[in-house]
Amino acid sequence: MSSLSAYNINHKTGDLAVSVQNLGLTYTTAIDRRPTLKARVKSLGRGTKQTRVVQALENVNLDVTYGQVLGVIGTNGAGKSSLMRTIAGIIPPTKGRIEVFGSVSTLLALGVGFNPAMSGRANVHLGGLAAGMTRKEIEDHFDEIAEFSELGDVIDAPMRTYSSGMYARLAFSVAATVQPDILIVDEALSTGDAHFKEKSFNKIKELRSEDRALILVSHAMATLREICNDVAWLHKGKLVTRGNPDKVIDEYQDFLHLGKSSAIDEDL
Amino acid sequence: MLSAVYFLLIVIIGGSGGATRYGHLTASLFLFYLVSNSLSGGVKSVTAGQRLILNTAFPRMMLPISATVIAFFKFIPTLFVFMIMRTALGLPFGWQMLWSIPIILITLIFSLGVAILISTINVYFRDIASFLPYLIRTLLYLSPILYEASALKPKLRVLEHFNPLFSILESWSLSIVHAQTPHLSSMLAATGWALGVLIIGTYFFLSREREFAVRL
Repeated sequence: MSSLSAYNINHKTGDLAVSVQNLGLTYTTAIDRRPTLKARVKSLGRGTKQTRVVQALENVNLDVTYGQVLGVIGTNGAGKSSLMRTIAGIIPPTKGRIEVFGSVSTLLALGVGFNPAMSGRANVHLGGLAAGMTRKEIEDHFDEIAEFSELGDVIDAPMRTYSSGMYARLAFSVAATVQPDILIVDEALSTGDAHFKEKSFNKIKELRSEDRALILVSHAMATLREICNDVAWLHKGKLVTRGNPDKVIDEYQDFLHLGKSSAIDEDL
Repeated sequence: MLSAVYFLLIVIIGGSGGATRYGHLTASLFLFYLVSNSLSGGVKSVTAGQRLILNTAFPRMMLPISATVIAFFKFIPTLFVFMIMRTALGLPFGWQMLWSIPIILITLIFSLGVAILISTINVYFRDIASFLPYLIRTLLYLSPILYEASALKPKLRVLEHFNPLFSILESWSLSIVHAQTPHLSSMLAATGWALGVLIIGTYFFLSREREFAVRL
């Protein structure tokens, strides 16, 4: 994988970053969580189904421009993660077209590429490489990552000895260092304790810039209201509405028959 | 160590020993382990890389390739061990031993092919990984490792046509243990098997690769 910075050309605000046209995603997946040859042989001649077809996205049209921070909301199973994965090129679309103008980095899950047997220091390198950074970029940003994660000397201990909060903190610190043109973040904001949550929230805010497009998937409505300048609401694989964050989030909350309360605002 | 145990078994059961026999056993086991390590490392490479596959866009083929590369790095030191051993055993040296280089290359192609193939199959049938040790052991006994290919009765030589490792290991033993030129037919068969398995494996992998993210 070549360096992300190699793609960094100056993008102007308002330039198209991602264009999703008539996107449809249908896939076949195994019903069993762990499909086996034994189960398949046993079911021979019985006519039991081994796979099911999932219609994850249907006719989705969405344009994201540089300078835009798009929040994506919806209930569980609405197709938010599927949409993010198709934009990132992880799952190919069944129908439609996706055009991406710039380098994309995904923050869909924390700690991808980490090896728990290795030290935090080694994992910063591993995770950085997995996120598309070069060895030099990682080396240059290492101190910054270590400082942001607030791990101190523990960074040289094997990651299996870390608490889940420490693990997530280091993972977020690595992921937030990547400077792509288009950043896709899926539920990665809720990391660690309140203090670190605040820090990571501010980091995401810092990542907003004129020449970058951000797509955030979250259930934390208050966060989305504060960060985003555009929100899209997905329901059962279809785009319901898109526009002003307050307006769309209010509609969504009305749809869920929920009143406004700080608890609901934080996590839906 | 393992080759010494097998050698002891052969001597007890078959009653025959000798330096050449021991050299053959060791060299063949080392090459066999290149294939078997590639298989056992490759089988879960895709399913174990689930988090990477689900969250990052990268060439998925890298996963089984890395399993074969690891197996190859484990194989390299054994070559040096064998060279020291064959000198100590007093086995003949000759330029024919250079045939071992293309044979290693053929084995690598074959190992890569099987690693790619089995990693794809394991996505659809996760119990293949548990079945693999039996498959590897069967291959071990059906290949000319505990015995020499030339010692087989003509009737049993039929194995040669069904076991892809047969011609590879026969050529390997002839070149690196006996310092003789391998049979052209064996070399051709070995190349055919290796390329065939790699092409089928790669085609199967590439045709299914797009599905991995939703199957894992």
